[in-house]
Amino acid sequence: MKSQSQIVSRTLVRLHSSWAVAACGVTLLMCVSGCGSTPAAWFRPNMVEATKQRLTPDQERQVSTVMLAMFGTPDAPVAPPETGLDEAKLQLAAGPVHSDIVGRKNGLYREHCAHCHGVTGDGLGPTAAFLNPYPRDYRPGVFKFKSTERSDKPTHEDLVRILHNGIPGTSMPSFALLSPPKVEALVEYVKYLSIRGETEIALMRAFFELDDEAQGKLPETREFLVDEVLTPVTEKWKSAADALIAVPEMASDLDLAASIAKGKELFYGDKANCVKCHGPTALGDGQANDYDDWNKAIVEVSKEVKSGLERAGETSTSGMDSEALAEHRGQLAWLDKFGRVLDGGDALRPRTIQPRNLRHGIYRGGRRPLDLYYRIHAGINGAPMPAAKGTVPPEEIWHIVNYVKSLPYELDGELGADRPMVAKDRF
Amino acid sequence: MSYVNGLFARRLSGAQCAGGMLLAVAAVVFAGDASAEEWGTIKGRFKFGGTAPTAAELKADKDVEVCGKHKLVNEELAVGADGGVANVVVFVRDKDVKVHPDLVATKSEKAVVDNASCRFEPHVLMVQTGQPLVLKNSDSVGHNSNIATLKNPPSNSLIPSGGETTVTFTSEEAIPAQLTCNIHPWMKAWLVVRPNPYGAVSKADGTFEIKNVPAGDIELQIWHEKAGYVGEMTIKGKAEKIAKGRKKIKVAGGDNDLGEMVLDANLFKK
Repeated sequence: MKSQSQIVSRTLVRLHSSWAVAACGVTLLMCVSGCGSTPAAWFRPNMVEATKQRLTPDQERQVSTVMLAMFGTPDAPVAPPETGLDEAKLQLAAGPVHSDIVGRKNGLYREHCAHCHGVTGDGLGPTAAFLNPYPRDYRPGVFKFKSTERSDKPTHEDLVRILHNGIPGTSMPSFALLSPPKVEALVEYVKYLSIRGETEIALMRAFFELDDEAQGKLPETREFLVDEVLTPVTEKWKSAADALIAVPEMASDLDLAASIAKGKELFYGDKANCVKCHGPTALGDGQANDYDDWNKAIVEVSKEVKSGLERAGETSTSGMDSEALAEHRGQLAWLDKFGRVLDGGDALRPRTIQPRNLRHGIYRGGRRPLDLYYRIHAGINGAPMPAAKGTVPPEEIWHIVNYVKSLPYELDGELGADRPMVAKDRF
Repeated sequence: MSYVNGLFARRLSGAQCAGGMLLAVAAVVFAGDASAEEWGTIKGRFKFGGTAPTAAELKADKDVEVCGKHKLVNEELAVGADGGVANVVVFVRDKDVKVHPDLVATKSEKAVVDNASCRFEPHVLMVQTGQPLVLKNSDSVGHNSNIATLKNPPSNSLIPSGGETTVTFTSEEAIPAQLTCNIHPWMKAWLVVRPNPYGAVSKADGTFEIKNVPAGDIELQIWHEKAGYVGEMTIKGKAEKIAKGRKKIKVAGGDNDLGEMVLDANLFKK
């Protein structure tokens, strides 16, 4: 068995040196609390955001210290009371997979989720690069499939539903076989990782807004860390249940054929404009060169690094005074670091987003007409899909829902003996 | 003891709350100092340092029958014939600045971005928190307006031909937010969300003017979409570093002409 000091030094070698102090704290904490034979897990800092914000090693340390204090570690998560998170549930989901003193299984997140979503919830688990679409990165706190308005958080029930049903058309399976308390624990832990990730991003961005007098130090006051940074994040989670989309019932005497015809008109028309992205054939072949927000963020910084390197290559250093030279070298070091962050384990190669092929009848956010209503009404947060809310009245959204539901079965002519309604009879 | 140390100790003592209250009281006492009675106008002109590149033409590959008729150019950098740089944003960074009585009403005036000729008009717009921002569509094709705000809830509404939608922001944004149309990917614009009316976007000739700023010490912040927060410029022949685009000035009553500010071509190579 390896000694604890071996584990500590091995862990440190693998880390970016700038995070070593915090990681050392994490490791020590784990060993004090007893870590058995498993190496201590640690939350991977959001290096893309840190580098984008040009944080100094000292500033990176400031953030990781605050994060450690506020949220603990993957083996020993804590949540400030302002988050409203249930620590007992978090304990059940966190840590390595093991049975506790009453024989109850712990470490559910690492058993079921971490291989894709990563220990940190950054969507950078070991299998992530092999999946299409990539697993969700929870850190920006953006979720697509929910019953709330576009920019609002999903409700607790929305996340439970995703765990229950999985996400058809993706690698996300159903966890319907898990007992309700286990699903509850996992949902709580996903919220924890999301709140944690959003807080980290907010802290990293806060340096930019500091006054010169602060000399690059974040205030360690409750006013700043809780009221200014944490509360705006947690408030959105707490108010999710108040942001439910009001869905008027579909008219009970609705003529389905007429509704589908109207929906078709809207689909191809200028008002709802579905055709622009989902394509004139509804095969999802309209807009093919756009990105979702997660990938777009990587595309944008990659461009910045590429053009920065090109520019640096063209710059002659011969006429520079010492100050300009130091600045030039600083810029090169930053570009070099950013290049390593993007090519290393902190980002995946960006992919364009595919508008859904509506002929398949596979709906990621659920196949109930209600689910399609939510998607059309609010658009899809994080994706280019815009909201029809305010532009397309509810009864017309229902027409579009009916047309979309008919698309996998739409024929280009009349039904008849040679074109039976039931698909299996056609072959 | 700091909040962080308190958390580490897992003991939230009363001491830090008292410290926080002291700080809050101090902030109130010092904020009361801004009783300005004189008002000044800040103006100046941004000039391109070097040979200005010609804006590349864009080709509409969506809704070609409508958008293909318009001459579309890359609007990221617009330099006038006399070297003036358009669309440079200048705003007063201070949040608690006293607002001139004549400007109070501007918060309830509509700010408008039009989808016209398959581009956004204007390309850069200042909008105040609480001010209604109307996104409208004068084109014969449908658009959408995807607003990528960081502090305010982001939004993305469909805007059919002749339609409009209204958005308001509750929080200022430290960095201007991009406005895009997902249907027509070449369409890009910027929204500068500030808590007060004290900001301006330079015109085609590079000039800008911010009226009725309370006299006294203020901090300006200067931003351009290609250059980001402008880190250096040459004022009256003298090179000046301005970290994060922040420039402290003393506003006097009447005109405060910053003169010609030359932004080197290298700033825009991104």
